[in-house]
Amino acid sequence: MPEVEVPLEKWTGKVNEVRLGGNGRQAVVVGGEATFPFLQFEGAIPNRPAVAIEVLDVQPTGWPSQLAAAWGNVLADPALWAKKAAEYGADIIALRLKSAHPEEGDTGAEEAKKTVDKVLAAMDLPLIVLGPEVAEKDNIVLVAASEAARGQRIALGNCEEKNYRTIGAACIADGHVAIAKTPIEINLAKQLNILLCDLGVSPESILMDPTTGALGYGLEYTYSVMERLRLACLTGDGMTSMPMICTVGEESWRQKESKSDIEVPATWGELEQRALIWEEMTASTLLNAGADIVVLRHPKTVEAIKATIDKLMG
Amino acid sequence: MSRFIATSAIQGAHAVFNEAEQLLAQAMEKLGPDTPVAFPNTAYYLPVIYSFTGHKVERLKDMAWPLEHARALLPPVPQDNLWLPYLGETLDSGVATLFAEEMIEGIRFALGEQPEVRNGFTYNGPIDDVQMRSWGIQMVDGRMPGFAALVGVAKSNEVAVKIVRELQSKGQLIFLCGNVNGRSIVDQLLEEGVELGYDTFTVPFGSDTISAVYALGYAARAAISFGNVAPGDFRQILLYNKFRCFAFVLALGQVDDLKYATAAGAISYGFPVMADTVIPNILPTGITQYEHVISLPFDDIPGKDDLERAERLVQRCIEVRGIKVKIAKVPIPVAYGPAFEGEVVRRDNLQAEFGGKGGLCFEWLTMKDMDEVEDGKFTVVGGDLDAFEEGAKVPLGIVVEVSGRKMQKDFEPVLERQIHHFINGAEGIQHIGQRDIAWLRFSKSAVAKGFRLKHLGDILHANFHNQFGAIVDKIQVTLHTDKAKVQELIEQARVVYQERNVRIAGLTDEAVDTYYSCTLCQSFAPNHVCIINPERVGLCGAYNWLDCRAAFEISPRGPNQPVPKGKVIDERLGEWEGVNQFVYEHSGMNVERFTIYSLMDSPMTTCGCCECVMVIIPEANGVMIISRDDYSMTPCGMTFTTLMGTVGGGMQTPGMMGHGKYYLLSKQFIPVQGGIKRVVWMSQNLKEELGEELKEICAAAGEPDLLDKIADASIATTVEELLPFLEEKGHPAPSMESLI
Repeated sequence: MPEVEVPLEKWTGKVNEVRLGGNGRQAVVVGGEATFPFLQFEGAIPNRPAVAIEVLDVQPTGWPSQLAAAWGNVLADPALWAKKAAEYGADIIALRLKSAHPEEGDTGAEEAKKTVDKVLAAMDLPLIVLGPEVAEKDNIVLVAASEAARGQRIALGNCEEKNYRTIGAACIADGHVAIAKTPIEINLAKQLNILLCDLGVSPESILMDPTTGALGYGLEYTYSVMERLRLACLTGDGMTSMPMICTVGEESWRQKESKSDIEVPATWGELEQRALIWEEMTASTLLNAGADIVVLRHPKTVEAIKATIDKLMG
Repeated sequence: MSRFIATSAIQGAHAVFNEAEQLLAQAMEKLGPDTPVAFPNTAYYLPVIYSFTGHKVERLKDMAWPLEHARALLPPVPQDNLWLPYLGETLDSGVATLFAEEMIEGIRFALGEQPEVRNGFTYNGPIDDVQMRSWGIQMVDGRMPGFAALVGVAKSNEVAVKIVRELQSKGQLIFLCGNVNGRSIVDQLLEEGVELGYDTFTVPFGSDTISAVYALGYAARAAISFGNVAPGDFRQILLYNKFRCFAFVLALGQVDDLKYATAAGAISYGFPVMADTVIPNILPTGITQYEHVISLPFDDIPGKDDLERAERLVQRCIEVRGIKVKIAKVPIPVAYGPAFEGEVVRRDNLQAEFGGKGGLCFEWLTMKDMDEVEDGKFTVVGGDLDAFEEGAKVPLGIVVEVSGRKMQKDFEPVLERQIHHFINGAEGIQHIGQRDIAWLRFSKSAVAKGFRLKHLGDILHANFHNQFGAIVDKIQVTLHTDKAKVQELIEQARVVYQERNVRIAGLTDEAVDTYYSCTLCQSFAPNHVCIINPERVGLCGAYNWLDCRAAFEISPRGPNQPVPKGKVIDERLGEWEGVNQFVYEHSGMNVERFTIYSLMDSPMTTCGCCECVMVIIPEANGVMIISRDDYSMTPCGMTFTTLMGTVGGGMQTPGMMGHGKYYLLSKQFIPVQGGIKRVVWMSQNLKEELGEELKEICAAAGEPDLLDKIADASIATTVEELLPFLEEKGHPAPSMESLI
């Protein structure tokens, strides 16, 4: 075999390292890459990408039966669910305060605080708390969550252009990490990072959510944006150097490929396996685009993705 | 710096420092040095001292160090025969005052004398941490602009209530303290039954001036909590408050030495001080964002009565602190939103129209001084919508007067052009055109729902505040429907339009040292950067150089950034070091060189939004220009859509370039290639749209008949058809210097 010289790029930038947890909880550090994903031969990759499992604060409705069945009874109780998720190998628990959505129960600060307390008490993994994605409600419940989890260094999301100030301020006051979410656009992502830093959030306390679609639903757009964000970071742009988080499970499990077994072409194959592959493919693709945290839903996907990460990390 | 204020403040500082020193000695003796000192339900010790120095006062004895620190800060009282620049000393004495005041309050707590109880009313004392957090977040996210510290006593109870109500209506948090001859604004408000407390955003700190220190302690705690500032980093604490916390002090009634000294402390935070009595003004800005000290003698404020004077006083305070107004909902009787922008008001539903064919209508936005504009004042001169018969065509003049600290004359046309878009958002109102060709149509249903001309004022007022608040502070609108008056004003407006045209024409690439970027389209063309120079409009046609400049003022982190030209590399090609560097950095290092005057040598890239594409036709030694609206085949063998596939996406393609329609009229239209004389083929609609202006450009280039020599799709869609036509017409391009 002829000798092949592997071309190496010299990068000037690297991804910020962001720590979640600590202070008595387990700590997870993400980021720190000095090269593109999994190119260990070119630059340092000090931390593994982390796998988070999504936990809802209300019993999910409309979940495909196999996904609901995989969790069983714990779906009714976020604390038990989170505990179970920790047993299934999650590195991080991502708690979604879905009940705060005006159409899902419209719960407020008090309930949010209670749920966060309960979930924090049930397990010792780092926590991500996501709001219902209605800006006004996000402001109310995430500020409450922030206060409840003071000193535990959780991540709070999402900061969007409309409400980044409120959530950013809460993160500063309570020592948390802000998740900056922008709609698949490199400049908006960068701008929001700048705005958060202007507010006083330190760059080491920001994660970016570039927004993703599932496989077959615009995944390639996100892939490309993430690649460009990482390229900008590696070439020295500090305002694109935040680790990235992708909400894979949520996107993947709402597509018909993960739900439907009626009137679909035979070539699609059997639903149960197809749905798992859908989540897995979405996750592994985004990991290859540079995701530092993937938020998943099915325990089997968690297992498979952790195995994939093991292999890729060598 | 006023010598008078400096002297008073320094005297006041000495007095309060001595009081603190004596009180501390007494308390140490009476209670013992280990007696705990704390503001209840707070975790920031004595917060001003803690935030400035990092020193934690937990017991009486811990005050020894800050006392000495304050002593060291105290400058000597200025002598009558000395004249010194007093600003530094005065600010130092202000800080010493705050230290002394905070120690006094701390000792009072240790003695059990705080919170104060007076005339049966329990004052609040310092704000607890839970409340500080809740308000702090609202101040950071902008729901609450800042706080107003009212110190002293208002002219009357009525005025006190009015001032508080006005501040509340502007979302300001209100802190109350101080007295004049034993009477306090708190007494006045209580007598009038005004409810005070956290729930009503009014906090009565105490009846003396010393309790004003709680306001500054609150600001310091907010900076530590929400500004990520470390205790002891006094510079950042002060800067945070200057730029983030829109607070001010309003001294009501006579100002004594202690008030001056405390005010000096507030000024170090960047909080300006207003007084309703005669005191010297300190106008030069620096420590605060705008003026430092402003005297607004209450009885001299214009107004029909005290209530109106109180309203104006608050308005002025808001202006001086630079607080921006936001209007949540456009207050008009019809629906408002982007969904109504494209709406057409047809004849059978027409209540009244202004302008249009044979009509008389104009809109004119003009900049005024701050004191010439009354924010939110809308005046209708002449009949209103309900006064005209159905379907009437009436003259209308919309005169918008704006003022703002960051407003510039050059932004007038930029703002004026927004009127179209703003007014169109109202349901049942159609707006077309601009300047003196504006045309407005009002539907019957809108007028039936109560829409009147005044509401145009509401629409403009709300939108300019919300979207252009960075440059506009005040907006007043006058609507004229009286024909003679409209006629008179339209003439004045036309003079201004003409001046603006001249200004734009005179705005050359050479005349400025900064261009602007536009990276709005990087969402889909990640490597594309537009460089917008005065003589080339953005390729989408939507942004010119002035628009970009205004956009940058409005959103300093937005997609339009200044690009300093830097050192010239090649004047003829229009290549500068600064531009190259910017484009390189912002194109993901894909575009290394960039010229603004050449089509052939490193031309500007295209995102995909261009109005026109220019392509060379080597056989004709010229260029063709096709517009987006033209679906025909072209002599280069490609349609617009196919061309876009080649030129779009941020690729640098010599010989091909996207551009705006109006670029054709620029004096710097591909000058390296010889300008307009190179154009051998052009979309028919461009010829029609730009006809007259194009003819002038052609004439200026020494080719008055050039337009007739330029082919279009009706003449040639292939090179074979094009060449004989050019020859027959004697087009100059084939005999010009070779393009390649």
